[in-house]
Amino acid sequence: MQIKEVEHIKKLRNKYLASQKKFPRKVMVCCGTGCLANGAGKIVDAFTDALDKREIKHFAVEAIKETGCHGFCEQGPLVIIEPSGTFYTKVKTKDVDKIIEQSIERNEVIESLLFAEPKSGEKIEKYGDVDFFKHQHRLALRNLGKISADSIIEYISVGGYKAFAKAVTTMKPDEIIDEIVASGLRGRGGGGFPAGRKWRTCREAAADTKYVVCNGDEGDPGAFMDRSIMEGDPHAVLEGMMIAAFAVGADQGYIYVRDEYPLATTHLQKAIEDCQESGLLGENILGKDFSFSIKIARGAGAFVCGESSALMRSIAGEIGEPRAKYVRSVIKGLYDQPTVLNNVETYVNVPLIIDKGSSWFKGIGTEKSSGTKVFSLVGKVRNTGLIEVGMGTTLREIIFDIGDGIIDNRPFKAVQTGGPSGGCLPAEHLDLPVDFDTLTEVGSMMGSGGMIVMDDKTCMVDVAQYFLGFLVEESCGKCVPCREGLFQLHKLITRICEGKGEEGDLEKMEHLSQTVLTASLCGLGTSGPNPLLSTIKYFREEYEAHIRDKKCPAGVCKSLIKYEINDKCTGCMACIPACGYDAITGEKKKIHILDQDKCTKCGACYAVCKFEAIDVS
Amino acid sequence: MVNITINGKTAQAKEGEMLLSVIRRLKIDVPALCHHEAVEPLGACRLCMVEITKTEWDGWSKFVTSCLYPVEPDLIVSTHSDQVNEIRRTIMDLYLARHPNSPEIRKLAEEYGVLKTSYEVQVDGDNCILCGICTRICDAMGFHAISLVGRGHGKTVAPPLNEAPPDCTGCLSCALNCPTNFIEFSDQDDKRTIWNKEFEMLACVKCGATTITREFAEHLSKNRDIPFEYFETCDSCHRKETSLTMGRIAAWTKEAQS
Amino acid sequence: MKNRFIVNPVLCTGCRTCELACSFAHSVDGQMGRSRIYPLDGGMTDLWVPVTCLQCEEAACVKSCLVNALRRNPDTGAIELNEDICVKCMACIAACPFGCALHDTQHDLIIKCDLCGGDPACAKFCPTKALEYKPFETKKKKLAG
Ligand SMILES: Cc1cc2nc3c(=O)[nH]c(=O)nc-3n(C[C@H](O)[C@H](O)[C@H](O)COP(=O)(O)O)c2cc1C
Ligand code: SF4
Ligand code: SF4
Ligand code: SF4
Ligand code: SF4
Ligand code: FES
Repeated sequence: MQIKEVEHIKKLRNKYLASQKKFPRKVMVCCGTGCLANGAGKIVDAFTDALDKREIKHFAVEAIKETGCHGFCEQGPLVIIEPSGTFYTKVKTKDVDKIIEQSIERNEVIESLLFAEPKSGEKIEKYGDVDFFKHQHRLALRNLGKISADSIIEYISVGGYKAFAKAVTTMKPDEIIDEIVASGLRGRGGGGFPAGRKWRTCREAAADTKYVVCNGDEGDPGAFMDRSIMEGDPHAVLEGMMIAAFAVGADQGYIYVRDEYPLATTHLQKAIEDCQESGLLGENILGKDFSFSIKIARGAGAFVCGESSALMRSIAGEIGEPRAKYVRSVIKGLYDQPTVLNNVETYVNVPLIIDKGSSWFKGIGTEKSSGTKVFSLVGKVRNTGLIEVGMGTTLREIIFDIGDGIIDNRPFKAVQTGGPSGGCLPAEHLDLPVDFDTLTEVGSMMGSGGMIVMDDKTCMVDVAQYFLGFLVEESCGKCVPCREGLFQLHKLITRICEGKGEEGDLEKMEHLSQTVLTASLCGLGTSGPNPLLSTIKYFREEYEAHIRDKKCPAGVCKSLIKYEINDKCTGCMACIPACGYDAITGEKKKIHILDQDKCTKCGACYAVCKFEAIDVS
Repeated sequence: MVNITINGKTAQAKEGEMLLSVIRRLKIDVPALCHHEAVEPLGACRLCMVEITKTEWDGWSKFVTSCLYPVEPDLIVSTHSDQVNEIRRTIMDLYLARHPNSPEIRKLAEEYGVLKTSYEVQVDGDNCILCGICTRICDAMGFHAISLVGRGHGKTVAPPLNEAPPDCTGCLSCALNCPTNFIEFSDQDDKRTIWNKEFEMLACVKCGATTITREFAEHLSKNRDIPFEYFETCDSCHRKETSLTMGRIAAWTKEAQS
Repeated sequence: MKNRFIVNPVLCTGCRTCELACSFAHSVDGQMGRSRIYPLDGGMTDLWVPVTCLQCEEAACVKSCLVNALRRNPDTGAIELNEDICVKCMACIAACPFGCALHDTQHDLIIKCDLCGGDPACAKFCPTKALEYKPFETKKKKLAG
């Protein structure tokens, strides 16, 4: 399959679409990392095995698509029957025969496999009607779940490489950059820097060699948006990079993939090879004076490797530590050459903007943050997973409409946005329209899009302690404010959690934070105190309770809580074996006794007691 | 030439020169613990931080490490503004918590009015401030015998695998330039030990005095195209030899002229 | 024509004025520094030779310095040592075949002659003109014998 001119792309597409007409129904099996872990591979095998055993009319292996992640991993493995959009969750291999017989051969819906909304219990038949998906606006995730993840022809069949062809054959590099500038696209990797401006500076930098680099390091704990895109729509990443390369005049690209992402690497590698084979990468692409190739660089495994200067050093084979410099990497980046570094999600928006125009994109989202953003919604919400919404969507819509509210109907307490160095926002900000600037204004940040929802059982001091601990671990240790400053902040907050906090600790932490924020070398340090400062700002009373009253109001900090058995105890004896430390004794139908000296405050008794007979205080 | 203002005085700087070097030329005392002229700046200690602004920045200013900030025309620099001093004080305070036993750190902290740390003292804290001067010098000399290993708070300076480093020539540059004199070595007339590696000192064939290790001399001879005999005589004996040779020539010339 | 040192041992009385002048010219924090020049008799008691750096074309000290602390000043031709760059490895001291790179142990500095920036104090103060700093004229005198 050779693509030497634009016409070839169209021809390929039409031919493939025609060949697919044979199959009135297709089975889309989600093969993202989450679903694979839940056994999606076996589901695919079961479908193929079933085809080996007997012939099924209008159905063949070609109609089984191993797609990218839908973001609803918790409900996986997911199977969708197209074109009806029938949505099956938690599918097991034993369900496959049933699906073939009923849904493929007879076009019937299998009730038992449908998804039930957790809040109402209502069974939903179609994918697009599920609350989790209904409120989303999927641009970056457009092809996830819609096409075979690693197939170039499937990508082309949904309009892939059309934008690249348009850019290379009908637009001048400057026009492309104008479009990206006009679209208002901002970097999705954290900083929110306007992508177009970065590209322009790089284009204008005088140099023989320039690089285009994609940041797929994604070190934030719990985040997996970039992984899902790289795994499920690798060609979209390549297409975005190819357009960027043409626009800035680069001939070499690198994708820096986090080391823990083997599937993403495999799919990207295949995508690159397919492009090389077809001529979309290589010399004189589409018959033009444009040559470009892409290599994959494996991440070095540390969170800080995602920072731009550390990432570039790592690609160049040096230690992946940030380098202090006041010359921007668009001027002097990888191998000291002008380099455009963008995030995975930033790149996949590019083909859409070129295809549909900047004003279309600008029309989505808010004035200063156009387009959409992918979030990884986790924590105490009923629906967790990857979601994509227009910028300006409120936290309330995300948490209560898409996330379907808080588990067990508990009260919402806070949402942590922006990854480990983001901030925690309280209920008063639930109606905040989420975009780059609004989040920063209230003391948090967009970051790469982590969103952790917390209920009233969450201790904010404990949360801040956790994130500071993460950052202390991940600090590269080069500069003093971050290495020693975060370390001391963590010491101070740990003391508070242990009930050893003193008057003045909060002020001391706030003061030290200022130096860490202003004097650190890289973004890890200059945003490191955020989780601390935002929780002090919004939950100061909770800190004071820890320091002054030696109490953890949420009942989390072990040193400050006590489990006690009250007179509601029926003497059911359930808690006795639950306690792994023999701290509970008692006879049947008599109130049990808890030995405080033996109790390790693990909370196991509390979890098993059905009679609210155990108090935490 | 670039004109800038430092603490209210105008100063001239070379294009591309770092702010710190202009500051030093003006004899303004700015602490810079991770700085050494022999190597590229690292930006690790953050003590050399200064506040910069420009008239057109509308009152807005920023904090930069002067050791690696290249001068820009019309820059207005304050090396000791209240905020800068506060940053330095906090950093000294942090250093003091980590290296309570270092006289060098204690002295510098005292200059900034920090006599006692406000933070938890690390009782077992050693005196290595992780400035990377030793490793960068060793790299610059082409030996790469030691490096900063690990990350975060647990970072240390060490030879590979913590064993006597095979690439070390015993030149002592790391130890002699450590701002806190942390690197231990023993230097005797005939042998030197550093990083648990023992070296033979190259003795003068005439008087037995020693200057550098045999390994270092061999390295220089081999890689820098210097005859090995040069190293076999010490500087003092070399001077005597020189005077003798020149004296002989003079005597001969005198004789010839008379 | 560039100036250079003209040394005439025949005139040298070993008075060590040059040494003193050099020490003064290179004082450190108001204290006298170590001299870069030494009048030595080399074992020939009747002849003194003021030994100092000859600023060799292909200098062993420059070659030995792995951090480039020794560089030639294009105006004076002197090989100058940048104290801030020097890491005190002593390579230059060990390498110089004339013994003209030295260690000032009192101030812990590596030192060598820098021609005083173009006007050497030693030559200026030499009472007998055994040491002069002036253009070098090649006199084509026939040598008898
Ligand atoms: C400690 C640290 C970690 C980072 N990790 C990532 C990451 O995993 N992925 C990413 O895209 N950007 C990360 N960034 C941001 C990058 O430095 C850089 O700004 C970004 O890749 C630029 O792309 P964008 O403009 O498209 O967002 C990190 C920054 C810091 C300071
Ligand atoms: S801020 Fe932290 S991660 Fe960044 S360079 Fe400094 S020590 Fe390393
Ligand atoms: S003594 Fe060894 S480790 Fe130290 S600078 Fe010299 S070669 Fe490197
Ligand atoms: S040993 Fe000395 S020179 Fe090396 S990093 Fe530690 S403090 Fe700096
Ligand atoms: S002692 Fe100083 S000048 Fe001499 S070679 Fe070593 S670094 Fe260079
Ligand atoms: S001297 Fe500039 S950061 Fe240390």
